[in-house]
Amino acid sequence: MSSTLDKDAPSARWIAQMRAKYQVEREVDRALTRKLEKRSGPPHQPVSIEAMVAGLRAMISEQHPGDFRISNASWLGGGASKLQMGFSIDWSPDGGERRTDKMILRTDLAESLHATSRLREYQIVRALHGTLPTPRTYWVDDEGHHLPYPGLVYSFERGVAKPADAQAGVSGLGTKLPNDVRKQLEPQFIEHLAKLHTFEFADAELYAFDVPELGTQSSEWAVNWWDRVFEEDAEEEIPLVALASAWLHSNTPDTQHLSIVHGDYRVGNFLFDESTNQITAWLDWELSRIGDRHQDLAWSTSHAFAAYADDGKTLLVSGLVPEDEFFEAYEKASGLSVDLKTVHYYKVFNAYAMVAMTLGTAYRVARNGKSHQDILQAWLLGVGYLLLDNIRELIEEAG
Amino acid sequence: MEMRPDLQIKTVIKAMTEDVIPALDPDNQLAQQAAQLTIGTLTLIAQHLPLEYRFDCDELRRLIEFAEQLKRDAGGGAGTALALAELTAAAETGADVIDRARAEPSELLDAIRLLRAAGSRTVAAVFSESDETTRKAVQATVLASSKEQLLRDRAWLIIQGWEPNPESVPRIEELLPPVSGPVR
Repeated sequence: MSSTLDKDAPSARWIAQMRAKYQVEREVDRALTRKLEKRSGPPHQPVSIEAMVAGLRAMISEQHPGDFRISNASWLGGGASKLQMGFSIDWSPDGGERRTDKMILRTDLAESLHATSRLREYQIVRALHGTLPTPRTYWVDDEGHHLPYPGLVYSFERGVAKPADAQAGVSGLGTKLPNDVRKQLEPQFIEHLAKLHTFEFADAELYAFDVPELGTQSSEWAVNWWDRVFEEDAEEEIPLVALASAWLHSNTPDTQHLSIVHGDYRVGNFLFDESTNQITAWLDWELSRIGDRHQDLAWSTSHAFAAYADDGKTLLVSGLVPEDEFFEAYEKASGLSVDLKTVHYYKVFNAYAMVAMTLGTAYRVARNGKSHQDILQAWLLGVGYLLLDNIRELIEEAG
Repeated sequence: MEMRPDLQIKTVIKAMTEDVIPALDPDNQLAQQAAQLTIGTLTLIAQHLPLEYRFDCDELRRLIEFAEQLKRDAGGGAGTALALAELTAAAETGADVIDRARAEPSELLDAIRLLRAAGSRTVAAVFSESDETTRKAVQATVLASSKEQLLRDRAWLIIQGWEPNPESVPRIEELLPPVSGPVR
């Protein structure tokens, strides 16, 4: 790293070097390049609801020929990574009968915890609608021509991410769901993952996704993605991060079946109807890609999202099902095998990606005042060291 | 360690300014005043923090000079002699401390970052060029070294509540030897 390098105001030459150094999917490259090109620009400015609605109107007017009326706009919690606004629209879709629908506008920030593509998110949610419970997509402004930042609009889905009477987990682990709830969610959780990983994506409109070759390319692209994020965003280099990257590149698994990978498949990222315990929508698709199913399996089985069963000993995947039963049921539902060595590889990979997000991106976003929750970004930095220790243990275990 | 007070203070000020103060009842004068003083105090801390060590060293140097001058100027009875003896001892202690305070905190951090970067590049180079035996040896060295440092990083941040078993992490005070200790 050059001593004169200023990551807060990266030069065109350095951006070109980053693009040349790391081979990633074209749309991933576009999102990361956009992030760097905008970095020296202004920090995040609070957006008024009126300004957001004005942008939304302009965006819909360009893409929808009929008249419409927007009302009841209000901010929703969007986490550390996105802005979300709920609203109602009175309109005639496809020239049909006039009606009112509730929708969500989801946009980037000046710089997000994940510099990802709204176009990819729009396409994957649209492609899977009907196969999995996902929102209905309507419009996308992937360059922020009308909205303050790139964004997309999809349907508001009823449901909760966790039941009102859920208990806090033991020793910082995940949310403990009531038994009757988890027993009904468990088969859906597994069945949906199986459907996702066996989804025939070849004919779907997913031109913002590149399809890797069978073999090691999907893993290489994935590691390159987070190598690049860490180099672009982190202030301090860390020898263990260099080792983790080298280890991941040296141990890439041979992927012989490509799947749509959600990237953040866990409890908390789906909504369900509390009266029926049926999953109504899978959310947060921004990290999705075409790759190796074991990435999702490793993510779902992370201890960070687990909770203990009533016996206080059995660890439940995403608070739902013991790990061995999860893998067995997944194999049966999908017809795909689970290779534990590859799951282990992707546990290292997932922790590596999260280290890049926390010790890299969260630091840079907070430093440059690029989000509406810089204080949360700075707070998230702290988990990076626990994740690094997790990487250390996993590489040691692998021998 | 990237989690440093300068970044944290900046984000707290922003959250207070953009989120908390606009939500306060404008008629609650006590809350309004306390919020403004909170921002003012944090701004003051942010300004002082990087200079605090230099400020104290500067004062100590001048106090040593002052003590030397005072020893030359002062004279009198037994009480003065006793006081001068104490002053001499204090000046000697001060001189010893200032003699050992040779690097600024920012230089310390720069040196750490330089070594982290050089170590990272060495690891990457070994994995791209060297044989399996060398790679294994380097891997073992990095893992062992990281284990020690990460224990301290985790202890430093334990109050954040990330640790699944916080009782397994020693207190940070037990892990940090005195600065004047030998290099291990």
